[in-house]
Amino acid sequence: MSAGLDNLKHIVVLMMENRSFDHMLGSLKQKYPKINGLTGNESNPDTNGAIVKVQQKAEFQSQLDPDPDHHFPGVDLQIFGGAPPGPGRAANMQGFVKDYFSQTKDINRSHNIMYYFDAEKDLPVLSTLATEYAVFNGWFSSIPGPTICNRAFAHYGTSFGQVGMDIFYILDTSIASVYERMVQAGRTAKIYYYDQPSSTMEIVNLLKNQPQIFGTLDQFISDCAGNTLPDYSFIEPCYNDHPGPDGGQILASDQHPDHNVREGERFIANVYNAIRTNPTLWQNTVLLVVYDEHGGIYDHVIPPVCTPDGKTASADATGTGEPFAFDRLGIRVPAVLISPWIQRGTVVPGTEDPVNAKIFEHASIPATVTNFFLNGDAKRTVREQKANTFLGLLTDQMRQDDDCVVFNNLQ
Amino acid sequence: MAPKVINVPKTDPRAYNPNRPAGLLLRSQALHMREALIKHVHELTTLLNIEMNSLKTEADISAYVHKATALLHKHSKKPAKK
Repeated sequence: MSAGLDNLKHIVVLMMENRSFDHMLGSLKQKYPKINGLTGNESNPDTNGAIVKVQQKAEFQSQLDPDPDHHFPGVDLQIFGGAPPGPGRAANMQGFVKDYFSQTKDINRSHNIMYYFDAEKDLPVLSTLATEYAVFNGWFSSIPGPTICNRAFAHYGTSFGQVGMDIFYILDTSIASVYERMVQAGRTAKIYYYDQPSSTMEIVNLLKNQPQIFGTLDQFISDCAGNTLPDYSFIEPCYNDHPGPDGGQILASDQHPDHNVREGERFIANVYNAIRTNPTLWQNTVLLVVYDEHGGIYDHVIPPVCTPDGKTASADATGTGEPFAFDRLGIRVPAVLISPWIQRGTVVPGTEDPVNAKIFEHASIPATVTNFFLNGDAKRTVREQKANTFLGLLTDQMRQDDDCVVFNNLQ
Repeated sequence: MAPKVINVPKTDPRAYNPNRPAGLLLRSQALHMREALIKHVHELTTLLNIEMNSLKTEADISAYVHKATALLHKHSKKPAKK
């Protein structure tokens, strides 16, 4: 066991919304060749058959309205380019522009789905964390579908056979959430949502475990400062624009299109700083920043197969005419692991390096928390049991305080 | 030596738009909240429909108070930290 793991007391996960890896971090490949981003030659055909290359023209807001499709049939089109389901069809990541055209009905606007950020210039927080700590080349959403079922994998290690937005698992008690597992074992765990007007997307736990496992972001900041952080914390950003309690303006910070990406940057920096500025907490905490799914935005990496979780979504549920056996992951998302025990510039290989690849998905979150705090002692799906865990990135060497970045100008 | 400090740019204040039409995610969230409320209403209605005169024994009262307390606790404020 590494010294970093020996010292570890807290795992914190911040899950953002709806951005693909290439869209956010793809440009880093130019300066950091190990990062499996974009060469600039990746492309999709549009509905006229013209080749549309990726372009470094992403903007913070107003470019992805309407919200790009990320429901199961749409993602199926994005991955398979429109080939109908059936034996022998091959994924090619060629259907993003076609799918966005079905919403925009405008050829030029459909090209926006191929836009990506100049990460170092536009996203100083995410790109700095990715290059200063560890970035995953192969962290995928758990399902080629939308938010709720993907977030379910982060909470339960399964979506209980669902591929949509239902709170389907409301009556299913076969698998406890990672928070319930922790509390039942005498450990501590909390979901921190931004505030009550934003609240949580994890309604089932809100129903079953209110208020003991819920807190607000203010409480998270206070718990960090007061050394009262739970063993495991899951943080939700602000999901909507709303008035503040003092009459001010609170912006959505989830980065879900068409919310402002820069506000999400500030949110990530605030969470990081809350841990980073407490010297004790900083040394014994690991922070994972990850996105729930790609939000319909282009990524060039074909999602790999995965261990099925024993469930099947019916052809009616998938909307593609074919059932889905949960044997393939969703589209790749940004994921960054942060700790002073992680060496600068760590890049975890993905599918581009089949020999050394370590593939992660959201079931890796409860898998890691359950293995570390509970020695794996909980009823779990096969999918979660087989999921890779991420604490092996902690080393024996702790970086000095002056070797770890801090963010400024956050008030 | 001091750590590297990175200034995070401010968000354009014009980004604020509470009148933006709610997307599917937020509409789903509201729908799920409604489902949660229905469950609470069901629990509350069940308790309110219990005829007080039907509670004869200490065990009857104990069971009722247990359910009522659990329900009320769900709505109580988190105790202040010591």
